[in-house]
Amino acid sequence: MNVLIIEDEKALARELEIFLSNNNYICEVCFDGTSASEKVAVNLYDFILIDLGLPDYEGLDLLKEAKISNPEAAYIILTARAEINDRIKGLDMGADDYLAKPFSLLELQSRMQAITRRKFGLKNNIIELGDFLVNLTDRVIVHNGDEISSITKKEFDLIAYLILHKNRTVTRNQLSEHIWGSIINDDYDSNYIDAHIKNIRKKLNAHASPDWLETVRGLGYKIKIST
Amino acid sequence: MKLRTKLTLFNTISKLVIVTLFVWLLPVLIKNINVNYTDTRLRKQRDEVLQTVKQQGIKSYIQNGESDYAAYTPIKDVYVSIEEDTLGENLDGIKNEVRKVETDTIAYRILSHNFTSDKKNYLLEIGISLDSVNERTGPLQSIAFIVLVGMIILTIVADQLYSDYILRPLGMIIKTKLVGTKFPNFGSYKEVKTTTQDFQHLDLSIHQMIQTIESTFQKEREFISNASHELMTPISILQSKIENMFEEETVADELKVRLLEMQRILNRLKSITKTLLLISQIENDQFLKEDTITVSDLLQEVYDEISIRLQDKNITFEMVIHEDLTLTRVNKFLLFNLFFNLVNNAIKYNRENGTITVEAVKEGNNYVVNIIDTGIGISTADLPIIFNRFKKLKQALQQDSFGLGLPIVKSIADFHQIKIEVISEKEVGSMFKLIFSPL
Repeated sequence: MNVLIIEDEKALARELEIFLSNNNYICEVCFDGTSASEKVAVNLYDFILIDLGLPDYEGLDLLKEAKISNPEAAYIILTARAEINDRIKGLDMGADDYLAKPFSLLELQSRMQAITRRKFGLKNNIIELGDFLVNLTDRVIVHNGDEISSITKKEFDLIAYLILHKNRTVTRNQLSEHIWGSIINDDYDSNYIDAHIKNIRKKLNAHASPDWLETVRGLGYKIKIST
Repeated sequence: MKLRTKLTLFNTISKLVIVTLFVWLLPVLIKNINVNYTDTRLRKQRDEVLQTVKQQGIKSYIQNGESDYAAYTPIKDVYVSIEEDTLGENLDGIKNEVRKVETDTIAYRILSHNFTSDKKNYLLEIGISLDSVNERTGPLQSIAFIVLVGMIILTIVADQLYSDYILRPLGMIIKTKLVGTKFPNFGSYKEVKTTTQDFQHLDLSIHQMIQTIESTFQKEREFISNASHELMTPISILQSKIENMFEEETVADELKVRLLEMQRILNRLKSITKTLLLISQIENDQFLKEDTITVSDLLQEVYDEISIRLQDKNITFEMVIHEDLTLTRVNKFLLFNLFFNLVNNAIKYNRENGTITVEAVKEGNNYVVNIIDTGIGISTADLPIIFNRFKKLKQALQQDSFGLGLPIVKSIADFHQIKIEVISEKEVGSMFKLIFSPL
């Protein structure tokens, strides 16, 4: 998939490029609005990531402009100016998602995958994990035809996030940012993720061993899916 | 004590002192006046008698063969006597003396005068009884007293009215600029009408002071907002770099552990920055109040997010909704964070196997949500500062917090006109009472 990264902070643009390239996206980078405007006029992209705080261009104008030449692309707004109005305006103008800086790269990837599923109608939403079947659309886990109803919304969120980033160690930080990221509180080191994982294991263990859910010592958790 | 009260008190007391002094001096004064008056009368009578003697001779009083003359009024309050003076002493003068008149002994003020007529020396005595002199003293005293009291009352009333009038601008300044509204009041400047220069000066000074505070506040808010915005980008870059490095296969696991530590510290910086930004956004009115939500739904959402944190210390969470309330025109995101932070604190500072009770009740006209914990409590000395930014209390030191939880709570509560009261006892627990303004 083709991604255009419009970000004036070169260091950040570079990290985005590395990350997305490693995840098999084909990236192009623009550091200012003028060159981005030229690029969107001639090329077609699947994803366009726009930083609203460009020095030479009003980010929302660029979004409007790009939508004309690239109507099929998915737009994600990245901004440090987490103004509520910007967010509403951006989504009103047809942005598909909005990420406030600082964000986790995994979070960006999961948003992009969610958009892909929505926009391009990918259907492989039932994942087989050992003896369990995880249905990402209906958000249920099934064992031998029985739905495991004791799994809570949060717990499912965690499993789904780990599945999305399968075969990769996801840190506690990344997990807690994903499920508690929007909550503003003054804990900076809350490791309640471990408690969640413990509960998940207990609930699944009643049916079968969830050995696919691995603890990576000192680092985080990983779901192993052999492809 | 209010200035007006003090002035009134001083006026009244000073006047009372004057009255007392006057009342105390009055008898002496009146007596003096009376004596002077009596003496004048006596002298007038003497002159009358001497005139008569001069014109008509002594015979008009003393017939031939008689040696003296005496006359007095029926009640004997005035008498006149003339007798031949054989001693030749000079007795001119006025003095108080007792005289026996017929059967009565009466004290008189007596004028004595020696004069010569037909080559004989005579002694004239004119007396006015002291009783009659004193009789006048009483009425005079009371009239003087009544007039005095009347005048005093009049001046007190006048003083009162005038000080009321003159102090009114000061009252206005205090009421509208200092206590009436929340100080500092950043509303538009309304000049207080007064002709008193001091008050004009005071009014203007307060206004200038408020302006200074306002601009400082504004600058501080702008600074925090700008600073936290500016910090977001470098934090974002660092976070991306750490995440990318973490993914690299060539990085050994032990290095990854250290990367995670870096990430954790970065998270702390991120949390602080995000929180400061949130507070400054609330204070700059950048949040909309367009949501409608019931208190029970909101609390349930908070519970769903936070219940995992109860496990660690095996805390019991009770939610008692005696009365539900639908909140309109609120910001759900902010209210969620308000309750989340309060419940989160109730968990953090609770003891093992403790309890948290969240109850929603109606108290009089107010809708109240109480968050009660069985935690370590807050000492009385600390209570006033718990809402200050970056103020970490001693007992909170073991916790991973940076002292912005309650400031967020306070900002959000202020934004929604929710009043917060805190009741706490050391080692027993705390109760945070949220009082919603009546709808």
